Amino acid sequence: MHYDPILAWQSMPDLLAGTATTFAVLLPVLVLGLLLALPIALARLETGPKAKAAAGYIAFFRGVPSLVLLYLVYSGLPQLSIVRDTFLWTFFSNAYFCAWVGLTLTHSGYMAEIIRGGLAAVPTGVIEASTALGLTPRQTLFRLRLPMAARYVLKAYQNELLIMVKSTSAVSAITLVDLTAAANTVFDYTYDPFTPLVTAAAIYWCIVNLMRTGFTLADRKLNRHLART
Amino acid sequence: MPQMGFVEQLGIGALMTIQVAVLSYLLALAIGTVFALATLKRRLPVDVIWQTYASIFTGVPSLLVAFLFYYAGSGMIASLFSLVGLSVTVDVSPFAAAVAALGMVYGAYLADIIRSAIQNVPPGQFEAARVLLVPRPTAWLFVILPQVLRLALPAMTNMWIVVLKDTALISLIGLKEIMAYAKLASGVTKEPFIYYMLASVFFLGMTALTYVVSQRIEQWTQRGYRPVAAKERAHAL
Repeated sequence: MHYDPILAWQSMPDLLAGTATTFAVLLPVLVLGLLLALPIALARLETGPKAKAAAGYIAFFRGVPSLVLLYLVYSGLPQLSIVRDTFLWTFFSNAYFCAWVGLTLTHSGYMAEIIRGGLAAVPTGVIEASTALGLTPRQTLFRLRLPMAARYVLKAYQNELLIMVKSTSAVSAITLVDLTAAANTVFDYTYDPFTPLVTAAAIYWCIVNLMRTGFTLADRKLNRHLART
Repeated sequence: MPQMGFVEQLGIGALMTIQVAVLSYLLALAIGTVFALATLKRRLPVDVIWQTYASIFTGVPSLLVAFLFYYAGSGMIASLFSLVGLSVTVDVSPFAAAVAALGMVYGAYLADIIRSAIQNVPPGQFEAARVLLVPRPTAWLFVILPQVLRLALPAMTNMWIVVLKDTALISLIGLKEIMAYAKLASGVTKEPFIYYMLASVFFLGMTALTYVVSQRIEQWTQRGYRPVAAKERAHAL
């Protein structure tokens, strides 16, 4: 068992194409997940049936593995005629669309919980002060509560983001050729499992560590008013 | 409607999932404890090994690690043994590859959790045990460990759920667990929705069960613990 640098170099185009697919899956999921999570987190902070529904949403999508959701969306939903026989089919017959939907649901469940935690940590005095100064609830939310919450949850968001990068490897199950699947394809052609898989692992490692560095820099900038521990 | 035969198979698969998850978690716990104790005092060689290990296994998807162990595992073991002049051929089963991959990946996470729990036990506890001449093994087992358990339990519970959910992903290396059977049943009956829903019900049920059990354990670990005027954290999440 040895590492074959020539094969690694030759398979680089395939692996980089897989990396591109990984990002094509990941980036829309991050944006959509965040947009979806915000109203759910706000509903979770209220009282009454809305909060119950939000809690149920979070519990369901955090409790079910993303692979199950991907299968449910990709092969489960087309069983329903409302999906198969209407315009929806043009979307749900596309594996990219299904990957976006499945992973966005998981991501939004986790993000809603993270945002809720951040919003809950904003001191009540800040909200009282902004109300006393005559800011509307919308202004309070977008100018005070969310920017403050963003600083509080930076570490939790970093963890969730890195988990999402690694979760994208599940999309190979619904026919997309992401980085993991690309490495397996090279293995199929060459009968050398070690080289392509280790090379793919190295690419993942670089992506993850670049993101970690980015978060460290952002933390230094956003939380510079806090004492270093 | 789901057919009973397939539901039964799903049950067999669920047992397999639980088996893999429990074994992986125990392996992760062992690896995590060893690394946590080894890195408690900062020593250079141990620190380098730990940093490398953690960096690799937290920076790579567990699915990829499982693929690597499954396809290249026997070759890696053979070349490891050939270093000491032995020729060994081992066949790596999907089960072994899954347990090894999940155990090693989540061992890295659990080591961090356990170490920070040990460091958060008040230093007075260690000092008191030493002053009272409590033998070291006894002190660790009956003074420190119960407190570590209390501090680390919430994070450890989360990690268990992550491991359980990741077991579903690992089915892609050919493990005959609940997702594999759900896929089989969907293919035969052309009713994928119902079988994948059953699989999600299983995972939701396991999550719910985990919370019930962890609350029991939490109550047990907090016996005799009365917090004195809890200090407010400056930056609580």
